[in-house]
Amino acid sequence: MACQTLCKSSIAIRLGRTSDSLSVICSSHRLPLHPRRASPSFSSHLLSSLSSSSSRFVKAYSILSPIPSTATNNTSLWFLQQHPHHHRSLLWCLNYSHATNAYVDTGAEGLGKHYLGLTDDELMRECEMDTFKSSGPGGQHRNKRESAVRLKHIPTGIIAQAAEDRSQHKNRASALTRLRALIALKVRNIVNLDAYSPPQELLQILPAKSSIRGSDCGPQIGPNNPKFVLGMQALLDLIFAVEGSISEAAKFLGLSTGALSRLILSDDSLRMAVNEFRASKGMKPLK
Amino acid sequence: MKLSLSSVYRSSNFPAILKSSAFSIPCRSFCFSSLSSSQTSVKAQIPLFLRPARCSATLHDLKKWHDWAKNLASSIGLTFEQSDNGPDSSLLCRELKWLLEDAVEDHTLLPLMGVQNDDKRVTMRAEVDELYNLWNQRIHERRPFQYIVGCEHWRDLVLSVQEGILIPRPETGHIVDLVSDVVSKDDELKVGVWADLGTGSGALAIGISRILGTEGRVIATDLNPVAVAVAAYNVKRYGLKEIIEIREGSWFEPAKDVEGKLSGLVSNPPYIPSKDISGLQAEVGRHEPRVALDGGVNGMDALLHLCDGAALFLKPGGFFAFETNGEQQCRALVDYLENYKSTRLCNFEIVPDFAGIQRFVTGFRRQAI
Repeated sequence: MACQTLCKSSIAIRLGRTSDSLSVICSSHRLPLHPRRASPSFSSHLLSSLSSSSSRFVKAYSILSPIPSTATNNTSLWFLQQHPHHHRSLLWCLNYSHATNAYVDTGAEGLGKHYLGLTDDELMRECEMDTFKSSGPGGQHRNKRESAVRLKHIPTGIIAQAAEDRSQHKNRASALTRLRALIALKVRNIVNLDAYSPPQELLQILPAKSSIRGSDCGPQIGPNNPKFVLGMQALLDLIFAVEGSISEAAKFLGLSTGALSRLILSDDSLRMAVNEFRASKGMKPLK
Repeated sequence: MKLSLSSVYRSSNFPAILKSSAFSIPCRSFCFSSLSSSQTSVKAQIPLFLRPARCSATLHDLKKWHDWAKNLASSIGLTFEQSDNGPDSSLLCRELKWLLEDAVEDHTLLPLMGVQNDDKRVTMRAEVDELYNLWNQRIHERRPFQYIVGCEHWRDLVLSVQEGILIPRPETGHIVDLVSDVVSKDDELKVGVWADLGTGSGALAIGISRILGTEGRVIATDLNPVAVAVAAYNVKRYGLKEIIEIREGSWFEPAKDVEGKLSGLVSNPPYIPSKDISGLQAEVGRHEPRVALDGGVNGMDALLHLCDGAALFLKPGGFFAFETNGEQQCRALVDYLENYKSTRLCNFEIVPDFAGIQRFVTGFRRQAI
């Protein structure tokens, strides 16, 4: 997969509210070691995933330095999109080491929350699904047992895949669960710290000792519960808003710094997301 | 999956394939002649993974077989893929892993293969000799993997399949989703009688009956006694005998008692044009039943018959969904429906499959005025 070989790049997508347009700036600092095989690079990969919803695009410009051939080239792509939701959002990705490492900052309307609030069917409708080999007429013509599934969430370009089961149907369900977790990890909602009160889904994943967690929250929801991703997203929103400071975030949640650290460390993907963000701010990782 | 799940097709162009052929007679005789129902009892085979684990082999012998089978699979490379778009080595190796999973009772022993404990005995559902045989059939005869292990993992079901019936395809599962959408909007359809015509393994009937719940009923027909036996086996395995009734006969013929009463009608009929049968990948063309694949000159014989039947057998408000060969058939079918069936049927839609190929035609029986 192209995205896995593209090591360091940054991407920004802006969904302009006033101009009803989307511009994408993608610059890759280090290009794939095997540019030919890796082509399309992440940028054009994202382009194609977005432009596949062609009706949503008015224009697509690409200001491309020649197709990557050396390891030092820079590429940038711009394009404009008419965006149906009138949301303003910013997708920003650093250290793009594989398909899943994109950060998406959305506007105050909470696009990120919106995605996770969708039913499976609604979320599926925002995705393109590839079986890994889907050429040919399909249907009765084919018997290939290609059970692997890759979902591409078109609005964010986030990709999730699953191949472990013999049934394509079950792999699709696993990929969808994975996609929800990736959206929670990568799509940021803007938090207003001046008037911050943690949303219910965040309170539910906090340990009982939190001083702001009412008894009406029920027992603490752990990482294995499907509802955990919603709380995880809200927690990451807060941690991003306080620039990665765990002690600051802990104050908003009525927890000690240690208790919040333990919560973050209890889930691998959450820990990695927090540490990646802290690293980008020059902070030490949580251990 | 595309942004919109479905798109309504409207076109004034009447495709050439319809102009030239026999469809100028919109009222066709209603039922194909059915085979006189043979009472010979056909027995469904038990899939490998459900067989009692009465055999055993040493880890050493099992590994020897596995190495041989893997080498055989690897030697194929891209040969099959290049000759008829068949499986490549990596797909065959994946199938080999699944075969091993179905054949060995205790999967936790598999990682020990070739490590140590060479003399340790493994409990198996087939003798190693049979596994040699099966894998030879898979590679040299291109016998479909699903017939080798006797089952197909389809949606969240594991269905028994065997020679003589079509192996259900992943695409077809989308019809269950379409039905799910429709009944979630209309409770009345949920409690009614549905029909799956040409049911084969019973896949669609079983998938739909689980959506309808205990209040619905499904009639599943097939003219092939093997399909009737296998579908019955699958229905029984999922405990759905109270909901699904399997009837032997051609299309609508065994369901005359529900004419005008059906809440819904689904089918994955044969739709491949006859001229394309010889070019199919060997697993399909050589091994799957031609009667379940060959849809006549342009592949639409059964589909048109089903549309005619939908107009008569659905009750007002009833829903139908049929799988087709792709865009061309979808368009031709919607044209046919609009030109000849629009007094009774309406709201025709073409729905793509997960690969983006226009695959299904859906619609409704008009409400009584």
